[in-house]
Amino acid sequence: MLTTTRRGVLAGGAAMLAGLAAQRQAEAQGRRILVIASNQDIPNFDPHVASGYSASMALRNTYDSLVRVEGNPPKPVPHLAQSWTVSDDGQEYTFKLDPAAKFHDGAPVTAEAVKYSFDRLLRLNRGNAWMIAGVVDQNSVEAVDATTVRVKLVKPFVPFLSVLPWVWIVNPAQVEANKGEDDGQTFLRSNLAGSGAFKLRRAEAGNLYEFERVANAWKQGGGNLTGAIWKITRETATQRLMVQRGEAQIAVDLTSEDMDALKGRAGVNLVIEPEYRTFSMKMNTRHGPLQDANLRRAIACAFNYQGMLDVAGYAELMRGPFPETIDGFDKDLPIYRTDLARAKEFLAKSSTPNGGIKLTVAHVSGLEQQRRWALVLLDSLRALNIELDIKPMIWPDMVSAARSPETTPDIFMVYQTANYGDPDNLAYAGYHSSRNGGWQNPVYSNPAIDKLLDDARGETDPEKRRELYVQFQRTLMEDSPDIFGVLEKRKLAMRNNVKGFTFTPVASNAIELFPLSLG
Amino acid sequence: MSSTTAHPRVEAWRRGLYRFRQSWVSVLGLLIVLVLLVLAIGGTSLTPYPQHIMGLVDTSARLQAPSTTYWFGTNEMGQDVFSLVVAGTRISLLAGMAVVIVGAVAGIIVGAVAGFFGGWVDEALMRISDLMLTVPGLILAMAVAAALGPGIFNMIFAIALSWWPGYARLVRGEVMAKREETFVLASRAMGAGTNRLLWKHILPNIMSPIIVKMSLDMGFATLTVASLGFIGIGVKPPTPEWGSLLSVARVNMPDYWWTAIFPGLAIFLAVFGFNLLGDGLRDLLDPKARR
Amino acid sequence: MVGYILRRLLLLVPVLLGLSMLVFAIARLLPGDPVALAAGPNATAADVASVAREFGLDKPLVVQYWNYLTGLFQGDWGVSIFTRRPVAEDLAAYLPATLELVLAAMLLAIGIGIPMGLMAAVFRNRWPDFISRTVSLGAISMPRFFLGLVFQLLFAMWLGWLPLSGRFPLTEDPPPAITGLLTVDALLSGQFHAFGVALSYLALPAIAMSLSPLATIMRMMRASTIEVLQQDYVLTERALGLSQRLILFKYVLKNAISATLTVIGLYFGWLLGGTVLVETVFDWPGIGLYATQAVLTQDFMPIIGVTLCIGAIFVTVNLVVDLLYGLLNPKVRYQ
Repeated sequence: MLTTTRRGVLAGGAAMLAGLAAQRQAEAQGRRILVIASNQDIPNFDPHVASGYSASMALRNTYDSLVRVEGNPPKPVPHLAQSWTVSDDGQEYTFKLDPAAKFHDGAPVTAEAVKYSFDRLLRLNRGNAWMIAGVVDQNSVEAVDATTVRVKLVKPFVPFLSVLPWVWIVNPAQVEANKGEDDGQTFLRSNLAGSGAFKLRRAEAGNLYEFERVANAWKQGGGNLTGAIWKITRETATQRLMVQRGEAQIAVDLTSEDMDALKGRAGVNLVIEPEYRTFSMKMNTRHGPLQDANLRRAIACAFNYQGMLDVAGYAELMRGPFPETIDGFDKDLPIYRTDLARAKEFLAKSSTPNGGIKLTVAHVSGLEQQRRWALVLLDSLRALNIELDIKPMIWPDMVSAARSPETTPDIFMVYQTANYGDPDNLAYAGYHSSRNGGWQNPVYSNPAIDKLLDDARGETDPEKRRELYVQFQRTLMEDSPDIFGVLEKRKLAMRNNVKGFTFTPVASNAIELFPLSLG
Repeated sequence: MSSTTAHPRVEAWRRGLYRFRQSWVSVLGLLIVLVLLVLAIGGTSLTPYPQHIMGLVDTSARLQAPSTTYWFGTNEMGQDVFSLVVAGTRISLLAGMAVVIVGAVAGIIVGAVAGFFGGWVDEALMRISDLMLTVPGLILAMAVAAALGPGIFNMIFAIALSWWPGYARLVRGEVMAKREETFVLASRAMGAGTNRLLWKHILPNIMSPIIVKMSLDMGFATLTVASLGFIGIGVKPPTPEWGSLLSVARVNMPDYWWTAIFPGLAIFLAVFGFNLLGDGLRDLLDPKARR
Repeated sequence: MVGYILRRLLLLVPVLLGLSMLVFAIARLLPGDPVALAAGPNATAADVASVAREFGLDKPLVVQYWNYLTGLFQGDWGVSIFTRRPVAEDLAAYLPATLELVLAAMLLAIGIGIPMGLMAAVFRNRWPDFISRTVSLGAISMPRFFLGLVFQLLFAMWLGWLPLSGRFPLTEDPPPAITGLLTVDALLSGQFHAFGVALSYLALPAIAMSLSPLATIMRMMRASTIEVLQQDYVLTERALGLSQRLILFKYVLKNAISATLTVIGLYFGWLLGGTVLVETVFDWPGIGLYATQAVLTQDFMPIIGVTLCIGAIFVTVNLVVDLLYGLLNPKVRYQ
């Protein structure tokens, strides 16, 4: 804002004072504490049960994994594993563990611990287990010696290293000592048994979690933080004001309007980067009027893409199922864009040439962006004489509605975040018929697509694999099962005294604390 | 109405009306409510941008400050806030009224049955309504509305679920008192059936306190409807409802304050109007309560 | 007297039992499928069934209620199906924040409402009466969530005088937990700076909460004062030439307050259930916020827990009010 009013100056001054006071207080206590404002609670600390980005943040800082993910584009880098080798057929991985690695209780992180953790993850079959399900089984992981782990994949899985940052290693001794009747789930829900650089200092469920640097952790170096607070702040406007006033150093759930309001403010840096988080509107291809491919194409052509982009702010339109930066993206893919004449042509070929029907769209209640896009869709469909019933649903209801074609709404809005930077992640979860009944792909099923995806999973020649994905995209576009929406940019706001942050487009809102400093 | 009771009652009305006119706050309340009723009946035709209420979005005119084109500014979809707020009157009034009517009807039935039959029926019904009174109504309504899914009827049902016990207790007390009065005893002696007694003789005689309570409740019902909308479990979009408009606009504060302030003021004004009017009506219909 | 109290306490048992039954029935008869969520996005039908078994949801409703009830007696309020945290622990963590908010709001309401009501009654039908009557109607009509937002806009966002939300600065450690009420704890441990800080966080939500009880107490106080002023004995005293002030304080105040007490009791319970909106606006970590989260995920154990907890407090507070009423009016006989 260029005009400076007296009130503005007063407010700014008072805010600065408040910020400074908080800062001084912390410094007086010799602590450098980073406050992160987020709207998601951390309901569970069990590394093999919890899911969601808040849990990823907690776990990646308190536990360690074999490899970390770093850079842009993201690459696996050594972590617990100092080095690794892959067999020629891509089915056998051998990891050498860092002999210095130790858990918080001083016990070394051994190959046995790695095996124990993989087995527990598979046994519980929750949390991130789906990432390795069908690829790793109870016999796959073998402790060759104290610091050597060998993993024999059940079938080839090219992106294996990309999922490893999300498989955390627990201290078997601690879990066994508190095993109970549920494999230690009660214990690990609120206790840590890891080797990470941070541990939990204070937990106030639904309000805040305070982390503290482990003094004698095996991994030294990194930034100068003595601690960090994950503050649950449900309103994005509040998150923004906290950063503006210096009460928080990082806010992770900001809207585009928030980013605009922060632009140019002294002391605030903005991170606006593309990330692998796609948004699409899935149409019910198995039940109701949208079984008709021509109607689906008509809708894809009638949709107001520019309007969608306008209300989304920092985002770019998707050109098919993949983000453009993902390996295997087809640059020449013919896509649908707003073209009412073409939409009416498709409509004329459908079983309801004059519209006159009513469709239902479901979105997650409380997700502001989805609400706005639903309104854009409603407005777009009026041009085809199609009514739209907007149903905001709570997430559990969305999940259970997705279980059968009959209960799935005509149009189903979903965000899908890639946990690893490989086309397989988005394509398999979103379009393979084995995922039917799950929210990522409630109904869409096409044997040709299934075959392409299965083949691509096991194809080790990068060129051939790319070709398979191009075919996949073409076939999919012909079928038009989705309105391919937008790729929202990751929007983070940060005080400028946060040092050492580098952006990685994989779960970047699950802030990794280790490299960060407060200056 | 029988001729024997007409005279004093007309007299009471006349006196009440005089008092009502004397109190300028009641008249103010009546004026506000009348304006709201006009807006509710007129609906979209009274708004400058009726298309926006139907769901037209204009993403090139997002979040514009109040001006002569857009009196209350535009929201994040580029829709005219003034049109949405005016259109919201119908929803909020209708929902508030429906809650009160459903609650009152259910309460009257329960209360009348309990009061007239007495004994274990009375005991059981009153224990249940006492229990309902201890349940936090808003949380119950939230839980029920969330489970049933969004929609105006679900919302009305959810709120009315905790609304009836007040009426049940009121009606029961009145019925019990009237049951022993001479004219009822007389009709009973003349062989009038239970139903006839209840509906023809007792209920018409206790309508005054019920109407007073209903008018006093209107404001609070409107407020509860807006509260559910504010939590995010209310009507379906794009239905413009004040609470949901305010809830959605929270993220726009402080820079785009107009998206939040005007729906909020509308809620306040409506509730205030009904409360003023209710207060005045109580003086009018229930002189005993006036002090 | 003691016998009366015991009898009243004994009567609480069936009330609470009935309450638990009612709340349990309503919560469990609602549609919705929280089990699917708890089982996770990639769960198979078998996984969902196993979660249902884990929480005993595959048994008949009566058995479920019986298990819940027997658990209650052992301090087990069930487990959240979503977070899998024990509800009792969560309630213990969230309740103090709500109590602090409600107590502060009630203190404000009583402290301002009683003198204002008295004033209105004494100056009946003159301008202080009209103003306070209109203002009180305005206060009742003001949606608390809207007032909270306006407060935030004015005092936190534009003027920057008071904190926007939360209970205490994040990077500071709160005073040692004794009662769980931060202001009280700060005073008890002699941390006056922390007291001031906690108070600055409490101010806006407490004021937003206090308005409608303030208005009701004021109106009630006005009405009962007028009633007492017209009683024979007061008229007699006045005729006997006692000063207005003496009459007011010696007789009227005491009698009027005891009538207002009932309203205070009712309101206390009502506010406990009504903090939801203010807590949402101010991110105040109390049971209202907890209940909202539970409602949005259809997590019924916390919903039942919160409802039952508030209901129990409501019933208890009203019992206490009844007893206090008796103390203030020895004419009321304990039968």
